[in-house]
Amino acid sequence: MITFFLILHGVCALFLIGAVSHQALGVFWPRRPGQTDFIANARGIRPQVYVGPIIILFVITFVLGASLYPIYRVYVRPPLEDLRLTYGIGLFEIKENFAAIVLAMLPAYWYFWKKTSEYPTTRAALTAIVAVTVWYNFIAGHILNNLRGFG
Amino acid sequence: MSSNIWARVLPAFAVGFALYYAPAYSFTGGNASFSWPLFTYFPSVGDYGELRWLLVPGSDTLGPPMWWYGWIFAATFVGLVFALIAALLPAKATEKLWASLVWIVPIGAFIFLANWERAWFGL
Repeated sequence: MITFFLILHGVCALFLIGAVSHQALGVFWPRRPGQTDFIANARGIRPQVYVGPIIILFVITFVLGASLYPIYRVYVRPPLEDLRLTYGIGLFEIKENFAAIVLAMLPAYWYFWKKTSEYPTTRAALTAIVAVTVWYNFIAGHILNNLRGFG
Repeated sequence: MSSNIWARVLPAFAVGFALYYAPAYSFTGGNASFSWPLFTYFPSVGDYGELRWLLVPGSDTLGPPMWWYGWIFAATFVGLVFALIAALLPAKATEKLWASLVWIVPIGAFIFLANWERAWFGL
């Protein structure tokens, strides 16, 4: 069951990384008129459409991660300490901290995307923070799972 | 409630949360004099673990402590206090400030935390 939830956590993170990547591309590298190639199509989206799915996916992924955390603390971290693989612990610590701070930012992220057209800099900055955090957490999670998964 | 109040309250919550969370993580330890987490969770005790209020260090009988949940709840409380203060402050004078602080403070918190966590990487 734990393995199932870990995989579900990873699958949700995969959907989330797709959504934040599309949104970030749409904000920072929008498609110009006439561009029709594959990359341009990935950029040619309406970023505001992704706000709801990003928030829902982030919360689901976060809750799954938070529910798996005790298993990590009891069965994964001690062996990493014994093996002196402290960088793995560090990667996870950064992951948990960034995720918590971004979780608290999501209501403001929603507001600046959905409820006001003012403050484009704030909107772009929040988008960048969410995207960078999700990408970091995805990669860090993979590295940690490779170091020592639950199985 | 006008939509303007959300322009102050929601960013203020994020700012308050980050301002508490970053030092909470950094300065929590078994011998810390201030209880940064609201509670400590011991996942090894019994079938479902055990919650104890405030900061409790790990031991041979309790196993490893988890403070992350406790930091999140405590930081949420601080965020709500910030949101309340922001709601009471004049909108015109503060709305732009919150719109900037909402991303500047979390980035600052990330840098603070990353610097603190260098030790894990032997840096």
